[in-house]
Amino acid sequence: MTSGGEEAAVLVYGVVGAHPPAVPEDAVGPDGAALRQVMFHDLAAVVGGVMPGWRPGREDLMRYSSIVDGLAQHGPVVPVQFGSLLADEQEVVDRVLAPEAERLSALLEELAGKVQVQIRARYVEDAVLAEVVAADPEVRDLRERTKDLPDEVGHADRIRLGELAAHAVADRAAEDADTVLDVVRPHVAAEIVRPVGGLDILDVVALVEAEELRVLEDALEALAEAAHDRMRIRLVGPTAPYDFVGGD
Amino acid sequence: MTTQTSGRRQGGYLERPAPSSLADVIEVILDKGMVIDAYVRVSLVGIELLTIDARIVIASVDTYLRFAEATNRLDLYEHGAKDIGEVVQDLRGSGGTESKTRGALRGAKDSVKEAIGKGDDEDDESDQDERRPTKRSSSSRRRSE
Repeated sequence: MTSGGEEAAVLVYGVVGAHPPAVPEDAVGPDGAALRQVMFHDLAAVVGGVMPGWRPGREDLMRYSSIVDGLAQHGPVVPVQFGSLLADEQEVVDRVLAPEAERLSALLEELAGKVQVQIRARYVEDAVLAEVVAADPEVRDLRERTKDLPDEVGHADRIRLGELAAHAVADRAAEDADTVLDVVRPHVAAEIVRPVGGLDILDVVALVEAEELRVLEDALEALAEAAHDRMRIRLVGPTAPYDFVGGD
Repeated sequence: MTTQTSGRRQGGYLERPAPSSLADVIEVILDKGMVIDAYVRVSLVGIELLTIDARIVIASVDTYLRFAEATNRLDLYEHGAKDIGEVVQDLRGSGGTESKTRGALRGAKDSVKEAIGKGDDEDDESDQDERRPTKRSSSSRRRSE
């Protein structure tokens, strides 16, 4: 691997079906020139030009995101990991479109009509800790003992208190995660649950039929309202299906 | 990200942040997408480090102490009496992002996101910010490139 961007190259954004052409007209690559499509049978890779010495920055990341999400609004897209450079358009065909044609076509078919959303649920700190204090006599006791002590005293008790509280919150989170997932699952085609910690209850990315999105929103809104004194639920998206194309 | 639902509702309990900040975008796309046989994969080195930094925060003495502090800080009596509208206001802040949450237990990831997102509202003329290699603001090392 070379150290990056020493020669002119093309940055690959994603792969779409070749019909109809879907590149946003005003979208430009890192070199400031219009994006191009590299065609291969019924596939089209959307690429942008890169000048020698290019180092990606914040704007490139934001632009990548808006370009790929923009493509997703017009039809299925397989996002290609940000920062993937190939020497030229011929390489896009030789190293991506031709060898991966079958897989890409299958993915595009599978992704048609679907969008990705991320759903996160998180405890209201004071509310969940109050639950923990109320439920566990040992926590209550340790809290009473350390609450008014100066910081440098009662270190062992403090650590024990924190450990108990952290584990109690994690246990609750595991249960509450299932509650949220039960609401989410009937409306999604696929899901990836990510690990959480701290006050987070659930972090899940899901693939949703575009027409089912509104139903999912309504279900989550009802849950968020019912549980709002102890948890917050947020839904980010719809975005392109970054997590459902065989990336990391 | 430019995608927004046309039906985005205001004032609901379900938070629908517009994923337009750098932090949200990173969360959604970093290390995602199809991996191709690229001849080189450039990366946002500083940003990746920040993310990894956040991921490795696991249960530790430090975490426990933060939990203990938060538990001790609880005013159980006042909590019961607190106006719920006020709580919601606190948590939602402006724009409804949870980054406004004033808790000691903000996850490391959130602190990191804040650190990354800090420059977001400023003009983007200088792209120094995303190269900043650490979330600890004390070490804002400068590099001239």
